Amino acid sequence: MKPVSRRQFIQKSALTLAGSLVPGALALAGTDHASPSAPAGITGRIFKNTAPNRPWKWSRPADHTVPYSDKTLMCGICPHNCLLNSGDRGICRSRVNIDGTLYTLAYGNACSVNIDPVEKKPLFHFKPATRALSIAAAGCNFRCLNCQNWQISQVMPEDVRFHTLFPEQVVAAAMEKKAVSIAYTYSEAITWFEYMMDTARQAKEKNIANLWISNGYINPAPLSELCEVLDGANVNLKTFDDAVYQKLNGGRLAPVLNTFKTLHKKNIHFEITTLVVPGYVDDAKMIQQMCKWIVDHLGPDHPLHFLRFFPQYKLDRLPPTPVSLLTQFRQIAMDCGIRYVYVGNVPGHEGNHTWCHGCGKLLVERNGYFLAQNNITDGCCKFCGTRIPGVWG
Amino acid sequence: MKNRPLPNIEARIRDVVVATGIGSVVTQLLTIREFLSLLNGNELVIALILFNWLFIGAVGTLLAQPLGKNPSVRKLWAASLALVILAPVQLIAIRKLYGLIFVGGSSVGFYPTLMYTFATTAPYALLIGFVLPYSLIVLRKHIPGYSGTRIYVFDNMGDVCGGALFSFALIYFATPFQALAASHLLLVAALWGGYRTSYPKASRWIPAAGTLLALLVLTGALAWEIPTLRPGTGRLAFYQETPFGRLRVIQDQDQTTVFQNGRPIFFSKNPGAAEAAVHYPLAQVADARRVLFVSADQQMMAEALKHQVAAIDYVEIDPALTRVEQRFGLLAQHPAVTAIHQDGRQYLQQTQKHYDAIVLNLPEPDTFQINRFFTKEFFALVKTRLTDNGVLSFAVKGYDSYVSDVELEKISTIYHTARQVFPHVLMMPGTRLFFVCASRPLDPDIPTLLAKKNISTAYISGYFYGDIPLEKIQGLNQLISKTAPVNTDFSPHLVRILLDEWFRVFSASPNVLILLLAIINILYLWYISKEEFVLYTTGCFTMGAEILVIFAFQIFFGYIYLQIGLIVTVFLAGLLPGAILSDYLKKFATPFLITGEIVLTALMIVFLAGITRFPEFMTGSSFLVFGFFVSLVCGAQFPAALHLAGSGRPAAIRLFSADLMGAALGTLVTSIFLIPYVGILWTAVALIALKLISLTVLKMSR
Ligand code: SF4
Repeated sequence: MKPVSRRQFIQKSALTLAGSLVPGALALAGTDHASPSAPAGITGRIFKNTAPNRPWKWSRPADHTVPYSDKTLMCGICPHNCLLNSGDRGICRSRVNIDGTLYTLAYGNACSVNIDPVEKKPLFHFKPATRALSIAAAGCNFRCLNCQNWQISQVMPEDVRFHTLFPEQVVAAAMEKKAVSIAYTYSEAITWFEYMMDTARQAKEKNIANLWISNGYINPAPLSELCEVLDGANVNLKTFDDAVYQKLNGGRLAPVLNTFKTLHKKNIHFEITTLVVPGYVDDAKMIQQMCKWIVDHLGPDHPLHFLRFFPQYKLDRLPPTPVSLLTQFRQIAMDCGIRYVYVGNVPGHEGNHTWCHGCGKLLVERNGYFLAQNNITDGCCKFCGTRIPGVWG
Repeated sequence: MKNRPLPNIEARIRDVVVATGIGSVVTQLLTIREFLSLLNGNELVIALILFNWLFIGAVGTLLAQPLGKNPSVRKLWAASLALVILAPVQLIAIRKLYGLIFVGGSSVGFYPTLMYTFATTAPYALLIGFVLPYSLIVLRKHIPGYSGTRIYVFDNMGDVCGGALFSFALIYFATPFQALAASHLLLVAALWGGYRTSYPKASRWIPAAGTLLALLVLTGALAWEIPTLRPGTGRLAFYQETPFGRLRVIQDQDQTTVFQNGRPIFFSKNPGAAEAAVHYPLAQVADARRVLFVSADQQMMAEALKHQVAAIDYVEIDPALTRVEQRFGLLAQHPAVTAIHQDGRQYLQQTQKHYDAIVLNLPEPDTFQINRFFTKEFFALVKTRLTDNGVLSFAVKGYDSYVSDVELEKISTIYHTARQVFPHVLMMPGTRLFFVCASRPLDPDIPTLLAKKNISTAYISGYFYGDIPLEKIQGLNQLISKTAPVNTDFSPHLVRILLDEWFRVFSASPNVLILLLAIINILYLWYISKEEFVLYTTGCFTMGAEILVIFAFQIFFGYIYLQIGLIVTVFLAGLLPGAILSDYLKKFATPFLITGEIVLTALMIVFLAGITRFPEFMTGSSFLVFGFFVSLVCGAQFPAALHLAGSGRPAAIRLFSADLMGAALGTLVTSIFLIPYVGILWTAVALIALKLISLTVLKMSR
């Protein structure tokens, strides 16, 4: 946003004299995009008295519930920490207080089930060219204005069509489809935590990997529990600016950073995704700070994906991200020391491929979700032997 | 200061009323365009803006009664001066407050739209509603018994002039602030003429200062044109107002984006979208020689040329858009490419050419204008312009991993509609959902088809199988509802479904508004007299008829800007002779009013018969003649009703407001509920029924 300078303001005000006083004051307020004075946040609200009278077949008592008073409970899954009276529904729409017990309404009712290439998540350093059974139930604790899956993230579980797929059935489906992993994705799996956890536990027993594709807005206790069954993750770092987190996503930055620290500490393979939204997440200085923080706190080995934004859902009056800006951000990230930085949603960009951080040679050439060549052998560069971070086997 | 006797008061107030009419119509049209550049431009938003304007105007009119206790010319001058100042302030406020209240770059939902349009237009619309009846009150103070009809006539004269000035001149040559300045200069001059003489010599600095202030605001506002259009990111490289909307080009680093009415429509480096739009249909045609694009950009042309096509015809309704695309390298000139500046549907009606592929690149069918390209009749027309192996392709907003019920209804409706004409319809689900239609089987395996043609791609080759696996296509086909309606020219179901989708995106429902409107209208109807009821229904009928005529005209002849401007103008132009005629015949007010009701009913029956039974006789001028006669009767009813209601001040004010209230409701109900839900036929029947009710009320109360 370009605020009008004082000189410009005086010039214009002189022109319009008294009659322009109102517009003059307005001009100081900002232009049509990314105005700092636009609403402070879009955090969701608790849905009062919208819980069903009794749990349904796809419910089970929720984990991480904190009794508050009488029949009031606090959900301890995510940093919203919703305080729910009997009959209330959490911000995510999928957790309800029914007569003093917190239930999840999203257990075994998968509304999206697909087999995706793992590269689509995106996960470029996790068993390349394998397929992931990708599932979602309804619900999300964010309100992203550019949500790609608003049809399932911004609705109640009762309002979507779904397949009855309880954890054992999910695992059986993954085995039948010969999927190497199960990805908890599309909506926000944090909000159907119990479904994800029970499925992941059973998957682990069958040697199927668990992939968590998330906004990372989770409390430490459930995250620790999750880490016990997790094999890989792609977590969004939507911006490094708390105000933008509140304005575009309805969340806060700090808990997400804590999630990254925990995943790193617990040695989970994870990749980071940042969608570069013009006018909001396009400040080079902010990106530099973000990358420095990543290197300082998480080290240089976690791949970072910069994705090109396209107008969609409610954020449909912005231009797409300039490709040169993505190239520039990739360079900034690499200059900061991050070893694997990718550019997504731009077919043919050199940032689609993996380059060895040791010798600089092309390791994995990607044509979309296909691998045109793969020069990683036993997790190491075929040319120089450098160990490449990731899960390759 | 004591009021001096005013020379030639009637002429002075007449000048002000006419000039106010001119300025207010231009302001109204600019306001609508301004909102369409900021907000979602679907049929509901357009109707809401008009509704707000008319409704607030009606409230302003009603306020003239209690506020008109001590009428004075000076107060009228001051109110009119305030209008001059408010017009540019309103425009600036609309542009600037958006960024203050909403997240920049985002669309907003139904109630925020309602509130925003209401709040930003309220001061001006309230004042404009107030000024007209107040003029009459002031005139009657000086000339007791002054005819309300005459004020009505003057106002209409101004409205017609303002509408014509904007539609046929200002739209081509002026930016919004220039148009405001030009259209209000007359009012400033009229005010100066009258204002000056209402003050003693020693105090003439007051009108001088007021006039100077108005002039300064109008001219000073010109400086705000560009700064208020600048984007939050990137540089405003180009800006132009065209009859079809606002074009802006934003350049940011290596990227150029063309915005039309606030939406990004073309941008550089977008291979995925171009490949999908072109190769999904062209891959199906072994030897594509001739291709027609309805709107396109350079990337699409380049992809089409990979198929060795001999000729590409490119139809774009707005020549300014082509020029902009060419200027910014988004549309290169190529010997195989011919640009045609015409409405796409009209072009297909007129051309004798046959194409191997017709590719539509259009916005969502959420307006009547775009819906015309998604109807059974249009698909049938396209089929006659395709070669035997030819394909039609178009797209709507799609989905990623889950298709919602309302999206499914939309997709099912389009699918069923296309299937009425084409035996084979292939759906390719993605963030844009493509439909490819043909008379012979189609193959969903696009990468293999392209490989056979030796065509290389950046997106399709690498992403297609991951994004659109065969199971996804099969899954969608299984979900298609068997009971979805067929979208036709006269029953635009898609507009309704897309409005539902819009509500769903914003988790909103129009029920609160419907309830509120019902309560307000029931209360209002309870209190009004039979004459007011007649004008209320006539206002409702006229706006409904105008929307119906514009809707039907586009189906018959395509979207032709000048002729649609002409329709809007004739709907105003008839008011004037109607009112004059009726004023002369006021002795026969009651039979006149009853005859008016019968004539309106008959006109609608004739119109309905014309478009449904005798479409071959419906020439462009028949629409104009219909519009003129409807407005003629409407204009004639006001003086007759006024005569019957008594020519006192409250009666005139209440009749003015009844007309506006009816018009407000007619706008909303016709475009949002009647046409999309019951189709054009039943809308016309509903309007006829409305007039029959009004006729019965009139008869019974005699
Ligand atoms: S998971 Fe849902 S209910 Fe629990 S705190 Fe987060 S938003 Fe609230």
